[in-house]
Amino acid sequence: MSVNLAYVARETVTNLRRNLSMASAALLTVAVSLTLVGGALLVKRGVDRATVQWKGNVELSIFMKADASEGETAAVRRQLDTMKPAQVKSYRYVAKPEALAEFREIFANEPDLRDSLGIDEIPPSFRVVPRQAEQTRLIGERFENTAGIFRVSYAQEEVEALVSVTNFLQVMLWGVAIVLLAAASLLILNTIRMAIFARRREVAVMKLVGATNWFIRIPFMLEGLLQGFAGAAVAYGIVWIGRGIIESRINGAENDVALFKQFLVTPGDVAGTGILLLLVGIFVGTIGSALAVRRFLDV
Amino acid sequence: MIRLRNVSKVYKGNVVALNELSLDIAKQEFVFLVGPTGSGKSTLIRLLLKEDKPDSGRIWVAGKDVAQLSSWKVPLLRRNIGCVFQDFKLLPNKTAYENVAFAQEVIGRPAHVIRQQVPAVLDLVGLSKKADNLPSELSGGEQQRVSIARAFVNRPLILLADEPTGNLDPSTSVGIMRLLDRINRTGTTVVMATHDSSIVDTMRRRVIELGKGTLVRDQERGVYGAVT
Repeated sequence: MSVNLAYVARETVTNLRRNLSMASAALLTVAVSLTLVGGALLVKRGVDRATVQWKGNVELSIFMKADASEGETAAVRRQLDTMKPAQVKSYRYVAKPEALAEFREIFANEPDLRDSLGIDEIPPSFRVVPRQAEQTRLIGERFENTAGIFRVSYAQEEVEALVSVTNFLQVMLWGVAIVLLAAASLLILNTIRMAIFARRREVAVMKLVGATNWFIRIPFMLEGLLQGFAGAAVAYGIVWIGRGIIESRINGAENDVALFKQFLVTPGDVAGTGILLLLVGIFVGTIGSALAVRRFLDV
Repeated sequence: MIRLRNVSKVYKGNVVALNELSLDIAKQEFVFLVGPTGSGKSTLIRLLLKEDKPDSGRIWVAGKDVAQLSSWKVPLLRRNIGCVFQDFKLLPNKTAYENVAFAQEVIGRPAHVIRQQVPAVLDLVGLSKKADNLPSELSGGEQQRVSIARAFVNRPLILLADEPTGNLDPSTSVGIMRLLDRINRTGTTVVMATHDSSIVDTMRRRVIELGKGTLVRDQERGVYGAVT
């Protein structure tokens, strides 16, 4: 059967115009749902990126005994060097004078404590940055019984809390995104079903005069596709503008929100999310209307 | 053109609509289908359109075995059958012209054919001047003419009319019958279910009377009531 393209185009446009309120309802539903989905996906992106940064900055400190020998210090240094590419990202030796300066600064407000230790009693230390946050404990245990070492201090609990919080956050955001997407799909299906229900007489007459099922279905599917696409485009716009606003706020703020800078998402992330939103909008609109029209096609 | 062999149809709750009905309707015939309400006239029409399936028996329409017809071929069957109903079934938001053109558009006729054939058919039913009116702006008789134009525009082999004059006054009905007669003379088989005795009596065509799903009477040049 030849499908008359002019007919399909005209039918789709008149249907949309005739059912403007219904079409706008579907479009807005898609726009709102997909805005939330897009927002959730971008926040997830930001969290991913921030987590990498946080994890990258986690240190463990290996404190030498205050009276550790040169040889013992060199042994620890060699040991760290052998672990360097695989487990240890970088390390820094904090010598006695620097350690003392740091100590004095931390306790600047408590002169008694500040002056209680002299340069001889202060322990020098290695500040080690592990390649992966999860390896912190493993690296630390290697040094616990080594000669000349006073104590290994982890940011252990903080690291574990950080990892579990970010994991939870990611799972939760994915969950929110999936639930919202399901809600959007159902709403589109329902809206298009209502639009078709309003036109069931037309469908009945079409069947009566011998229209094939595909002929009836195509304008409705095209209509759903357009609604899904337009809704997704609106959502894309909102997400894009929203990101711009948040970015300018963060950049304009003082240094004490530097932490949030790690949350920033790149324009590439937004573009990727936008393409995803458009695809989802088109898919949901088309499939929703195809499903919705199906029950009206049974004889 | 239409052939039924031992066709039965029972609806839920043991309501027998058709019971072992057999009949033949030849090409170019004009047939009245009469009988009281519930005698199976409407069921017969639904079965011919494959809107419903018989429980047993076989049906041929325009050379096709309707029961064997796969569902995707049903639209092709319906293109050979024009339908006219008591309630017209016009689309309220389309003009008379658009309602007729719709029947051609949905079967994929090219635009230049539509532009040529729709005015010709509207002229045939005498509605050239009302082509741009909406159904709500037309009288009942005029609406039925539009619906006949829509049924006929694709030149079907068979025209099924289910109480086409049921909502119309007698003088309007005469005009509709004259139109159906004209369509019949172009070679289209017409099957008309009706309760209108005066029409049947004046037309003097073949009458098939159904009662409780079986054939009660089949008479050439018959009348509505019993044989005299």
